[in-house]
Amino acid sequence: MKTVDTKKIKDMLKMKKARMKLSLSACASCSICAESCFLFMSKDKDPQYMPSYKVVNSLGKLYKKRGKVDRLFLEKMRDLIWKNCVLCERCYCPFGIDIPGMIAFARSICRSQGISGVYPHTLGAPEEEYSKNETG
Amino acid sequence: MYDLARGPLMWAAFIIFTGGVIYRSVQLFMLTRKKDRSFYTSQSLKKQDSGKYSSEEKKLELLVSFQNTLIGKHPVMALISTVFHFCLFVVPVFLFAHNLVLFESWGFVLVSLPDSVCDILTIIFLFCAVFFLVRRLVVPKVQAVSTPYDFLLLLITAAPFLTGLFAYHQWFDYNTVLIIHILAGEVMVAAIPFTKLGHMVFFFFVRILIGSEYSFGRGSRTWIT
Repeated sequence: MKTVDTKKIKDMLKMKKARMKLSLSACASCSICAESCFLFMSKDKDPQYMPSYKVVNSLGKLYKKRGKVDRLFLEKMRDLIWKNCVLCERCYCPFGIDIPGMIAFARSICRSQGISGVYPHTLGAPEEEYSKNETG
Repeated sequence: MYDLARGPLMWAAFIIFTGGVIYRSVQLFMLTRKKDRSFYTSQSLKKQDSGKYSSEEKKLELLVSFQNTLIGKHPVMALISTVFHFCLFVVPVFLFAHNLVLFESWGFVLVSLPDSVCDILTIIFLFCAVFFLVRRLVVPKVQAVSTPYDFLLLLITAAPFLTGLFAYHQWFDYNTVLIIHILAGEVMVAAIPFTKLGHMVFFFFVRILIGSEYSFGRGSRTWIT
């Protein structure tokens, strides 16, 4: 298994630290963003599809752990920011937090470690095949 | 203790609050830059297209955009949140007792609301706070992102109002309740710039100054990175 270049992650996190940490700290966890996400609405309102949940548990955790994460963590994060989000940019935050920008940044960090998402469902694969078909 | 709470601690809280708000505002200015002038804005494009649509279609568009607002999507949450924030600002600023303290200290007063009005607003505020608490405890989507920190912040925000109500009605030992009330108020004021309560600064800056789909107006600034 490939190791994670934590220095690279730390450097990337540092690059946008002020803006991202400010945005994360402005989130009052009000969950108003939930209904603006079509995936949340179409997946029986499963909180895992809620925009704030996706941000807090991806980029939020990366900042909390200061980039000291392992490959398993990034692979789990991949599901959240690729499978649970299509970056349609329709999420609404009452405070104006740029949620898509934060998820896109989390994706960049994953990509820097060779982890990226694919969308097998767009190629016609059944849902239960998603995780099997995903390549790192 | 009363003198300490009303003197140095009060100053400390207000200095932290003012300094913090200035720091946050400067930080937001540094993280953004003036937006490039755009020749086509969503408003100007809408104006160009307006002749193409019938009044029925325009009405439908208005209805759809209303349904996408906070009031259209969450009317109860929008109402309670608005009332909560209105009371949060109005009660402490326009309370007669606070103005009396202001007059004793600096010799000037602001407009005061009748005590009975503030009493009712405080009770309404506390009901709103209970609504947020229950919402955090029972609604799955809110539960999923709630941490002990969120409950603590709700407590920090509601404590000055709860203790203020007790102090006004002189329930329990007045002097003790009053000191707790002052300290609770100071903790809340000092917490604003450096906690999630910082959304006070963030909201006005981002929704008004930064141009985006959901901003009020066109916005004059944009994020740098």
